[in-house]
Amino acid sequence: MNKKKFWLMGPYLFWSIAFIIIPLCMVIYYGITDKTGSLTWENILSISTPEHLKALGLSLLLSFISTLICLILAYPLASILTTMSRNQHSFIVLIFILPMWMNFLLRTLAWQTLLEKTGVINHILSFFRLPSLNIINTPYAIVLGMVYNFLPFMVLPIYNSLSKIDKNIINAARDLGANGVQTFLRITFPLSLPGVISGITMVFIPALTTFVISNLLGGSKILLIGNIIEQEFTQASNWHIGSGLSIVLMIFILISMIVSALLDKDGEGTLL
Amino acid sequence: MSTKLINLQHISKSYGDNLILDDMNLYIRENEFLTLLGPSGCGKTTTLRIIGGFEKADQGIVYFDGLDISQLPPNKRQVNTVFQKYALFTHMSIAENIAFGLKIKGKSKAYIDDKINYALKLVNLEGYGHRSPDSLSGGQQQRIAIARAIVNEPKVLLLDEPLGALDLKLRQDMQYELIRLKNELGITFIYVTHDQEEALTMSDTIVVMNQGYIQQIGTPEDIYNEPENAFVADFIGDSNIIDAIMVQDELVDILGTKFACVDKGFGNNTPVDVVIRPEDVELVAPEKGTLEGVVTHLIFKGVHYEMEVLAGGFEWLVHSTALVPVGTKVGIHVDPFNIQIMNKPESEDEEAAVLDE
Amino acid sequence: MKNFLSLQARRVYIGLIMLFLYAPIITLIVLSFNASRSRAKWGGFTLNWYRALFENEAVMQALYNTLAIALLSSLIATVIGTISCIAINGMKKRGRTIFMGITNIPMLNADIVTGISLMLLFISLGVRFGFNTILLSHITFNIPYVILSVMPRMKQLNPSVYEAALDLGASPLKAYFKVVLPDLMPAIQSGFLMAFTMSLDDFIITHFTKGPGIDTLSTKIYTEVKKGIKPEMYALSTLIFVTVLVLLVLVNKTPVPEKKIRRLPVHGLTGKPWFKYGLTGILLLLIGGGLIFGITGLDEPKIEQVIVYNWGEYLDPEVIKMFEEETGIQVIYDEFETNEIMYPKVEAGTSAYDVICPSDYMIEKMIENDLLLEIDFSRIPNAANIGEQYYEQSKAFDPQNKYSVPYCWGTVGILYNKTMVEEPVDSWSILWDERYKNNILMQDSVRDAFMVALKLSGYSMNSIDKEELRQAKELLIRQQPLVQAYVVDQVRDKMIGGEAALGVIYSGEAIYTKRENSDLEYVIPKEGTNVWIDSWVIPKTSKNKENAETFINYMCRADIALMNFEYITYSTPNDAARALIEDEDIRNSTIAFPDLNQYDHLETFTYIGEDGDALYNKLWKEVKSQ
Repeated sequence: MNKKKFWLMGPYLFWSIAFIIIPLCMVIYYGITDKTGSLTWENILSISTPEHLKALGLSLLLSFISTLICLILAYPLASILTTMSRNQHSFIVLIFILPMWMNFLLRTLAWQTLLEKTGVINHILSFFRLPSLNIINTPYAIVLGMVYNFLPFMVLPIYNSLSKIDKNIINAARDLGANGVQTFLRITFPLSLPGVISGITMVFIPALTTFVISNLLGGSKILLIGNIIEQEFTQASNWHIGSGLSIVLMIFILISMIVSALLDKDGEGTLL
Repeated sequence: MSTKLINLQHISKSYGDNLILDDMNLYIRENEFLTLLGPSGCGKTTTLRIIGGFEKADQGIVYFDGLDISQLPPNKRQVNTVFQKYALFTHMSIAENIAFGLKIKGKSKAYIDDKINYALKLVNLEGYGHRSPDSLSGGQQQRIAIARAIVNEPKVLLLDEPLGALDLKLRQDMQYELIRLKNELGITFIYVTHDQEEALTMSDTIVVMNQGYIQQIGTPEDIYNEPENAFVADFIGDSNIIDAIMVQDELVDILGTKFACVDKGFGNNTPVDVVIRPEDVELVAPEKGTLEGVVTHLIFKGVHYEMEVLAGGFEWLVHSTALVPVGTKVGIHVDPFNIQIMNKPESEDEEAAVLDE
Repeated sequence: MKNFLSLQARRVYIGLIMLFLYAPIITLIVLSFNASRSRAKWGGFTLNWYRALFENEAVMQALYNTLAIALLSSLIATVIGTISCIAINGMKKRGRTIFMGITNIPMLNADIVTGISLMLLFISLGVRFGFNTILLSHITFNIPYVILSVMPRMKQLNPSVYEAALDLGASPLKAYFKVVLPDLMPAIQSGFLMAFTMSLDDFIITHFTKGPGIDTLSTKIYTEVKKGIKPEMYALSTLIFVTVLVLLVLVNKTPVPEKKIRRLPVHGLTGKPWFKYGLTGILLLLIGGGLIFGITGLDEPKIEQVIVYNWGEYLDPEVIKMFEEETGIQVIYDEFETNEIMYPKVEAGTSAYDVICPSDYMIEKMIENDLLLEIDFSRIPNAANIGEQYYEQSKAFDPQNKYSVPYCWGTVGILYNKTMVEEPVDSWSILWDERYKNNILMQDSVRDAFMVALKLSGYSMNSIDKEELRQAKELLIRQQPLVQAYVVDQVRDKMIGGEAALGVIYSGEAIYTKRENSDLEYVIPKEGTNVWIDSWVIPKTSKNKENAETFINYMCRADIALMNFEYITYSTPNDAARALIEDEDIRNSTIAFPDLNQYDHLETFTYIGEDGDALYNKLWKEVKSQ
């Protein structure tokens, strides 16, 4: 049966080699050569220049903070959703997917309008004679944009893994003497870990590599590693350094993939 | 078998419009093996969950050792539960599963290790401590679930259809295992099942439930031999349940023929239900029987033959070690003490009770 | 958990999160009814943007592209993904692990890397960038979503079901279609919807793989963001939002038969027969449309055409229509944001542009790297309309005036808000004034930013002297904390909205901004500035050189140049067009047509070589990463 079915693999085999493997090899090729085509490590090592290091560090820091905030916001939300009746929760989960049908750029742009110095939020604040909020074009605004855009990617996997937990498992823990907090720490949370991990990767990686959010909400004052790569390709037209930095980025992604694979042994993610 | 360890008083519970339990009263004595038996939806599991603290009764009070525990959360109750599908913690090893309750209570490591070994030995799974629950068979997981519950030394162990997912042979083995455990631990077991054989084999007391009402409470012998109504009779084993009229004390008219019986006090010419167990129907020569009939079906059942005899317009179910071929004319005889007379059910509800298992 | 949070607290929590999620969307909806073009000002209620939306062909085309690509790519991905799942399921453990690993790559890899890698692939294969490259890329990142949705369901599938079908006489193929597939259907549908959503929302990968003349909503919006977004877009997103919302409410109001396995709530949607038929209908329509699109695409070489690559919002769309009507040559129009973005695309040669409009120094670079064709001026009689002084000026980068025909020109200066800046502005140094901290907008492009600093220090803005550049860098670093944002075209909207007091701006934008907000004033600082020229050139890759020349000639026609001037408000070097301007104030405007003799230290950018570029870029990164 296996052999007969192997031809079914054909289309995807071809597709993944042509559009996933080969393109990645090309990035690597550009990353380890210079303009004359000879081998060099310089592009990859250019990450150690102060401005690249700083951008990378800032990216790591901001995406870490965003991931943490997403987790803190999403976990209670997901567990509230699991306690709801079928009809209610499917509607509410949809409400969380709905914003994704609006354009990502427009949503982010709308935040710009909200946060601007003369923006909506400051109008409301000044109406109540409250001090104005000046976070546009700062890292705070970028974190906000990241949390806003990636929150659903944290909520859905956690919700899925929480809703898979048999109610009796929770009952069993209570029955064995654990109080609410103990049950959460020892049973609910560990069992929802695959969802949490998949949520963390789903948020951390796009946050780490974004250049759009930092452009729109950071006023281009704040360079993240994504911005640098994008600029190398579209403005400085130095594809070799861009590719070299992409390789560095991929190494970070690979690390987080390995970590999540080790922690989530079923290894299939629970986004869907 | 002395004090009332658990006492349920006037317990009612409903989900939405669905009445699950209606004004139920029940007590469970110390060291008793009590079984809640009934078809699905009869309220037996809800009763168990109310005792365990997973559900709160809408009305009524749960007493434990004389104290009202109705409002106590599960973790504060001196009872432990063995769940239907085991509910083992898959992210922990067997030993960690067993140690869970003890760690919560803050017991010392030495004490916990001791207890783990003791519990594993008790359920015949020594040396399994480091394995993961997923690597065990259903029967083994079941035993771990029991071990996990009993290390906490509960006064009462609640078991919610614990053998439901096991195959027949394993189920029978586990039945003996449970009886042994109960005797070794000397604690109260409250057992929920829909399997009448399981109930008869293991219990000290059986509570037969249907549609939120207790139908009968008694020893297995009482329940089997003297069912109080047609539902119980039908639910427990095979029976011939026949409409009849109590002519007078010790005489009943079954299908137009008068049978001698031993029951009294039903009044004269009262409609009643008569229960006769198939093994109590004796097939004799046609002229020697009280009623005459013909054998219509015959099946070999191993221990006995199962036959159907058409007599007096009713298909009698008969168990006998002697073979009587289909088409044979036979006489039916029943000893008076084998005729069980029951009042007709009072409510429409009870009559309407359908067995769906 | 139940006792943890009271019902009330849970409601409040969900409410707050909702507010967070929907505040921006509500903002967009409100803005779609805002009569003022600026995001920062409420100018009264209007429905004009909705009318404009339906009349805006570019947006409608982008919407069509977005939907077509989303539907086609998710459909193809669903078919490939589902087939692959059947195959992967039959594989041994190792093979399965490898394939699931590969499947995870596009899911987990950074979008930017995926986009770049695909761009490199298409460039090296010499594929023309366009609808097809976007479609291929979208299929690539959509397949994993389908596989990850279908695979778990596949594993739960009882193999006996398939065998039972065979046993009952079905052929293997029939068994799959009649038994296995229906069982997988919910998962396939949710995979499809997931893929559709992802495709709809993608920007980054499309950004790197799109070609000339084709935009999805995302890329359209991104270009507009830089230019100052058109309120039609708000109207569009409001419409999309309302459509989806109505759809969802309908689905939730009609009772859904409770299904045993429901993973994503979107199943509620897919379970509805009318939804299925509706979807099938839309699909057929789009595939049909796609086919027609494809056929006309095949016919392309037969039709006379010209592929134009121009700055965003740098031409009156009406002019293109007129050109097409008058000449019968079809225009494929594509836009770029900066010279630096344009250059590599032309250099790679994958998009066979016929006419491009780069700036001075970039033209020099292109000449130097042998990327341009000599223009046959005998075919461009209207070139005579261009003032002689502009050809003179062009010699700085095109010494023999062989390669370029000037299209727009202007200066760079300071735009300031008179209500926020009281003293007279005449020097770049005001951009270093602590009092205007967080009220300064700088240009987000290397050369322009360094121009300001170099001019202030009294150096040439084409300097490649390391010491001079180091000083300029120090200046820019010192300025960085004072700057509110580095922007390109957004200066315009932000200044109109009163977001900042001072901004570095191109003179062409100044006319428009003054018209919208009379508090604004434009000055050319005394230290001198950049006088720039954007000119039409024909790249070597051109396959329709004659059409390109016809196009350039048309652009030089006085009435056409006037139309363009009035639309984009950038100064025209077309003297004949200037003479036609009716409004005397504008014809003699010192902003639009300054007398350059009045100013000192004016310069035009020149190409500073590859090493110079690299040095500027490195220093600029150092500034930005402070």
